[in-house]
Amino acid sequence: MNINCDDRERIFLDGSLEEWAALEQHANTCAVCAEELRAWKQLSAAADEMRDYQESPALWSRIESSLRQQQAVPASRKGYWSSLDFWRRISPAWQSALVGAMVVALAISSGYLYTHRTVSPENHGNTLLKTSALAEVERTERDYMAAIDKLASDAAPQLGTDTPLMASYREKLLVLDSAIADLRVQAGENPSNAHLRYQLLAMYQEKQQTLQDVLETKR
Amino acid sequence: MGSVGLALPWEHKLSSVARDGERRVEPFEGKTEPVRTSEELPQDAAVAAACLSGNLQGYERLYQWQGTRMKNLARNLLGSPADAEDAVQETFLKIQRSISGFRGQSSFVTWTFRILVNTCHDLRRSRVRRKDKVNEDVDALPPRRELRAPGAHPSLRMALERALGRLTAHQRDVFLLYEVEGFHHAEIAGMLEISETASKNTLFQAKKNLRTMLEPPRSSATGGAQ
Repeated sequence: MNINCDDRERIFLDGSLEEWAALEQHANTCAVCAEELRAWKQLSAAADEMRDYQESPALWSRIESSLRQQQAVPASRKGYWSSLDFWRRISPAWQSALVGAMVVALAISSGYLYTHRTVSPENHGNTLLKTSALAEVERTERDYMAAIDKLASDAAPQLGTDTPLMASYREKLLVLDSAIADLRVQAGENPSNAHLRYQLLAMYQEKQQTLQDVLETKR
Repeated sequence: MGSVGLALPWEHKLSSVARDGERRVEPFEGKTEPVRTSEELPQDAAVAAACLSGNLQGYERLYQWQGTRMKNLARNLLGSPADAEDAVQETFLKIQRSISGFRGQSSFVTWTFRILVNTCHDLRRSRVRRKDKVNEDVDALPPRRELRAPGAHPSLRMALERALGRLTAHQRDVFLLYEVEGFHHAEIAGMLEISETASKNTLFQAKKNLRTMLEPPRSSATGGAQ
């Protein structure tokens, strides 16, 4: 194989074994290539000096302890994330379809609530709930949640069946529960915000409708 | 680019042979195979499976197998043994948190080192942010080189460490992964999410820059085939 100085950098970049051997042979008669080859090899040799594989006696016990702590995270939190494995496993097309369906459903629910909300003349334009109204809303919410819990327990056997339809209902309910939990946190921080209450109500209604749909598939 | 203070003491007579064949060197030294041996492939799968099962012994096996290598890379990226230990610990925690997402599309070791490299970058960034807050100079990264076991040629290592600090982060990553840790370009490509060709090009550029920094090339007046 004929090699000259012009081939040197190409071989340094991605030369084959034969090309390296040919370059080495060429370097026997070329001082410049011999010098470049020596310097290139020395860089690899110098890199050896940066390898220091000494044990750190205390490191593993430190890591193990932190792994145990992390492993002890409450099962409920881990359960939620691991339950999303189904979501990750289904194809992107199905994911898009499910998300699209949920968005449409939530948009319709919110729109319906918004257009059918009752606005009295004295609180028109006021998005804060008064104390008495707040107490009423909270009582209604509790009743609503109790009714939904009852529905959920009725639907549980049906939801537990291993069919693609029920799997998508389970996913939808998980997403709704997550959204409800977020909204409840926000509403807890700002209990008089009527807009948050409307959103929360829309979520409850969507969950109720979903659970009713699940029960209807049994009939 | 000047080389003041970075001149590599080439007069040291280094052995051109890699230590006990533990790493790949240039083809002209007759060793083109990677550090990984065929026996390591089942081990990779076994450790991955043990970690996936949630058994802490799986993580311990991973640590025993790759822990010192992980710490070495982290120390070379971060400059300090203490930061390196933090990075390795954080990497194990991230592995535990995201192990269910490991699909076996790359080897478990490749996946682990990808997390480690990203963790080191995150730590570097947070270190820079902390320094920004106290108005300290952050120009000279990696800034903290701490004592480590003396090698055969400490001045050689120090010169290279200083020169590495002047490479781009990407070039430094590729150089350390390939030349120091002995990974393949295919593995590095998986770790850094680049192509194999990009890994080769980056290594070439890194070595060219280091060569210039450590020892300016001789005049090319005598260049050309002889």
